[in-house]
Amino acid sequence: MTVNIENAGSKTFVTLTGRIDTTNAAQFQADINPLLNADNPDIEIDCTDMEYTSSQGLRIFLILQKSVTMKGGSLVLKNMKPAVKEVFDITGFSSIIRIV
Amino acid sequence: MLVKRFEPLEGRNIEIIETVMNSAEVTPLPEDVQFKVRLCVEEVEENILCYSGSTWIELRVYVQNGRLVISFCDGGVEFNPLDKEDPDISAPLEKRSIGGLGILLCKKMMDSLSYKYEDGRNYLTLEKKIA
Repeated sequence: MTVNIENAGSKTFVTLTGRIDTTNAAQFQADINPLLNADNPDIEIDCTDMEYTSSQGLRIFLILQKSVTMKGGSLVLKNMKPAVKEVFDITGFSSIIRIV
Repeated sequence: MLVKRFEPLEGRNIEIIETVMNSAEVTPLPEDVQFKVRLCVEEVEENILCYSGSTWIELRVYVQNGRLVISFCDGGVEFNPLDKEDPDISAPLEKRSIGGLGILLCKKMMDSLSYKYEDGRNYLTLEKKIA
């Protein structure tokens, strides 16, 4: 799993690659930690190469969405593979996190 | 049939997942089925490793009547995950938590789940139609 974060003006572009699971969820949380500190977050996450997430990964997405919402910011997940999207759908995460 | 006992359990979560994924029963399955198997195995073993207090897991993987069967046995505290109410997946953001989502994913992605407690052991069995 790799997380790449790039800031362009007021927007933050994140690229996720690989699997988010029990072995690397703590690392994923550490990697996205800078996003929790932004004052006016406007975050776009490209999930094209995100292969998998378990509930361990969902936990981090939930933390991120709660932080962004609290700050009145914006978070969007893009280009999610159907199998990964199903994990978000089954758990009702598609209704609390914007996925396009 | 694959039968394997893992003891002790510390740091072996990925080994347990890969043992299932590399088994002769799972490798021929389509990619989308393998995705679901990996996810459910991770969710179940995570629960056992984090909450059961068991020092071991005995894993069985086999195919029976057109179904892939994955069974987990552990010696931890008696816990039937199927007894718990499903989390509210339509709750507003601020009321959401991660509790119970793993077993919910298993219920939705597998064709059946069963649990029994016998001789001081938890048995949780997942079945997925593959025929």
